[in-house]
Formats: sequence, C-alpha cells, structure tokens
Amino acid sequence: MAEKKVRFIIERQDGPNEKPYTQEFDVDYRPGLNVVAALMEIQKNPVTVDGKRVAPVVWECNCLEKVCGACMMVINGMARQACCALVDEIKQPIHLQPARTFPVIRDLLIDRSVMFESLKRIQGWVELDGSWDVKDAPIQNPYTAQTAYEISHCMTCGCCLEACPNVGPQSDFIGPAPTVQAYLFNLHPLGKFDAPKRLNALMEKGGITSCGNSQNCVEVCPKNIKLTTYLAQLNRDVNKQALRNIFNN
Amino acid sequence: MFNATFYLRRLHSLCGLLVLGMVLFEHIFTNSMAIFGPQALNGALAMMELIPKPIFLGLEVGGIAIPLLFHGIYGIYIALQAKNNPGRFGYVRNWNFTLQRWTAWYLVVFLIWHVGYLRLYTKGVTGTPISYELLQNYFQSPIVVLLYVLGMFAAIFHFCNGITTFCMTWGITKGPRAQTVVSYLSMCLCALLCLITLTFMGSYLI
Ligand code: HEM
Ligand code: SF4
Ligand code: SF4
Ligand code: FES
Repeated sequence: MAEKKVRFIIERQDGPNEKPYTQEFDVDYRPGLNVVAALMEIQKNPVTVDGKRVAPVVWECNCLEKVCGACMMVINGMARQACCALVDEIKQPIHLQPARTFPVIRDLLIDRSVMFESLKRIQGWVELDGSWDVKDAPIQNPYTAQTAYEISHCMTCGCCLEACPNVGPQSDFIGPAPTVQAYLFNLHPLGKFDAPKRLNALMEKGGITSCGNSQNCVEVCPKNIKLTTYLAQLNRDVNKQALRNIFNN
Repeated sequence: MFNATFYLRRLHSLCGLLVLGMVLFEHIFTNSMAIFGPQALNGALAMMELIPKPIFLGLEVGGIAIPLLFHGIYGIYIALQAKNNPGRFGYVRNWNFTLQRWTAWYLVVFLIWHVGYLRLYTKGVTGTPISYELLQNYFQSPIVVLLYVLGMFAAIFHFCNGITTFCMTWGITKGPRAQTVVSYLSMCLCALLCLITLTFMGSYLI
C-alpha cells in the first residue's frame, strides 16, 4: 500500500544566537492530521527526507484545543496555532517557522514573556477582589459582559503581535493584545477604579499611540477578538483621559 | 505624568489631516485653474500676491513649513518603526498601511525637490514669479511631469488614507462598518482628486 506523505519544511535554530537553517521531513498522512500531531511524529522519528537522523524539532504546546496559546508559530507565512492547523486545510509542502517577533529559544520554541511584562505595565489585573459571598459581590454590567467575555478569551498566543507591522525589534510597541486587555479590566466593576492608571500607561511611549491601524491583528486573532474595535474605543478613552489630565489639575 | 509621545503622536495626526490637508486642497484648487487657461491660473496666483508680504510669509512659515517639517520628520521616525509585511498579510488595510509609508518616503524626496526648486530657488533666490508660462516650460520634460503626477498621487493617497486612519486614531469610527464606510468615502475622494490632478497637469501638454 503506497502511503501518502506530508512534507514539512521546518526552519530550525539550535539556540538563541545560532544561525537558522531548514530541514525537511515527511510524515505519514492520516485523516484529521494537524501540525502539532505531525511534529509529534517527527519527534518520535526525527529523520529528514535525506535519511539523516537529527535532533528532534523543539516546539511548545499544552492544551491541544486552542485555549492555552502556547503553540503559536508561523505556518506557511501565517501566524497561527499549530494545534488547530489541519493538514487538509493548508497548502503543502507545509513551511514552519518560529514567530521571530519574539526571541527564539530553539527551533519553533519562542519566548513570549514580553507580553506578560506588558500586561504588568498596563495593570492587567483587578486591584482588590473582595472576600465576600457571591451574592454580595459587585455584578458585571450585563450590557458589557459579552464584550468582557470576548476579550477575556485572549490566550496571549501572540499571533496578533507577530502579524502587527509595528511590533518587533525596531519598535517598542507593546502590541494589540496587552493594549486591548486594558479595556477588559476597565470594564470590570472593581477594575474600573484603576482605569485612569491603565489609560495613562497606554499613553506612554510604546503604548496605544504606536498602533498604525494596519488591522492585521483583528484578521489573525484565533479567538476572533474584535481588537481594532477595542483599540478605537481605547483611543477615545485615552483622549478623554488626556483632557482630564490637562483640565483637572 | 507628561506622556510626550501621546501628545506628539496626536499633534502629528492633527497636523497631517487639518493643516497639511488644507495645504493640499489649496494646491489642488489653485492649480486646477490651469484647466481654464493661462489667464485663469495667473489670475489666481495674482490674487494670492494681494495678501500683504509679511502676512503671506507668516502663513507660509507657520501654516506650511513648520507643520510640514514636524509631520515629515516625526513621520520618518514613525515609518522607521514599521516592518511592512503586506507580502505575508495581504489584507487591504495592511496594503494601505504600507502605501501610507511608501508614499511618505516618496513625499520626503519629492517635497524637498518641489519646494526647494520652485519656492526656494526659483521664486526665492532668482525672484522669478511663478506663472502658467513658467510651469508650462518646466513641464516640457516628460520626466518632470511623471515625477510631479506621482508626487500629487502620493500626497493625495497619503492624505485620503490618512482620513480613514485619523478617524480610527481619534476613536471617531469604532466599529468595522463605520470604518469601512469612511475608508470607501475617502478612496472616492482620492479618485476624484487624482482625476482633477490629471486634468490640470494634462492642460499644460496641449
Ligand atoms: C513629508 C513627508 C511625509 C511623511 C514622512 C509623512 C509620514 C506619515 C506617516 C508615517 C504617517 C502614519 C502615522 C501613523 O501611522 O500614526 C502619516 C499619517 C498622515 N499623514 Fe503624513 N507624511 C508626510 C507628508 C504628508 C502630507 C503632505 C500630508 C497632507 C497632504 C500628510 C497627511 C497625513 C495624514 C492626514 C495622516 C493620517 C494621520 C492619522 O492617521 O492620524 N502627510 N504621515
Ligand atoms: S491595527 Fe494597530 S495593533 Fe493591530 S496590527 Fe495594525 S498596527 Fe498593530
Ligand atoms: S488578542 Fe487574539 S491573537 Fe492576540 S494574543 Fe490574544 S488571542 Fe492571541
Ligand atoms: S496547544 Fe494550546 S493553543 Fe495550541
């Protein structure tokens, strides 16, 4: 029985400061095969198409169901989650590259901790959460709960940062995901008390003003968060905050 | 907290849309007089000469030179922070983002040449007044015509796409429908202004 093979062309790199190189692998096709499953096959038998046994390809994944964000990589030029990239739905041969907006640790494994630092910068948390019974807790505004729920889906995968032309070593922009998270916490019934702090953080260098409205972020977000809509809302909010800063003192 | 970046970015945006936008409209309006023949253009240019010299110079420096230098120099700084990627992400808005930067680079070169030669050298240094005849003579060279038409197209696209992004930057258009409508309208304006430009540039060739 002639087995169908899927060809992977993988950009590899042995360490943070090593030179990238490419290797090609063939993986047996099976229905429903996705990129993470294929990488697992390569890990079991890391032999290139020329029959050379090499070090297994390194990458990261956890949930395998598009909720943790860990498996973000560049697949055929597009920033996306490897665990939900079905081989049947993408062009072959399949090119895999690390998302170079972030520092590469090894092969497809990247260091996304810069997003965590940015979340700290915009105060991506609620200062006091109370210790009351559920019935006494402040309620979510039912009119914005849907929006808050949507933004809370963000899994800091970094697709939007990889696609954003203004994020990268050439710029200090914190990127769409951490920026929009500020809106989530500004909507929270207790988080809203710190809204001026978050808006002021967004007005600093590398904050929301570094967005150039290319709208790539909203196109690539795997959680379909309406990033550009919330960026525009935050633009409104920082403008109002600026007026308050000027006239309230 | 002073947030200089925030105010500089917003000033850059305002400068581009309001001040430089006015300059662009004034340019297209005055130059379109060439469509109605030499007298019409020379008449429009003479009208501007009626403005007292010190006021005119003040307008040129305060209303054009300073805003243009600020928007241009800060714009170069902004453009250098982008890594254009329409090859990987070929969405319309991303192409417009890239074109906003490519037209900016062309405008830097074009405006140095255009302002340097016609305003600073011809009018300023040699003291020759700008007239229909001078321009017609200048536009005998097809290369000059081509570079000028490209310069106008670049400025017009940059301005019109700028209307769309301005509305996002200021949070005027929030949702995708509003943003698409403004983008559609500003591209209609872009086409119209480009057509007017082609018409008045063409009038020198006949
Ligand atoms: C001298 C060369 C110029 C350079 C280097 C330049 C650069 C730029 C850049 C990089 C942007 C994008 C800003 C951002 O993404 O935040 C921009 C926006 C803009 N420019 Fe220019 N520009 C130049 C000339 C002009 C001229 C002549 C006009 C008017 C006709 C103009 C009008 C605008 C407008 C309306 C915007 C949109 C502002 C916004 O999005 O908020 N620019 N410019
Ligand atoms: S809209 Fe702004 S944040 Fe989103 S990709 Fe474009 S520049 Fe980046
Ligand atoms: S906003 Fe979307 S693309 Fe960006 S990090 Fe969050 S989930 Fe990923
Ligand atoms: S493994 Fe969690 S998103 Fe892909």
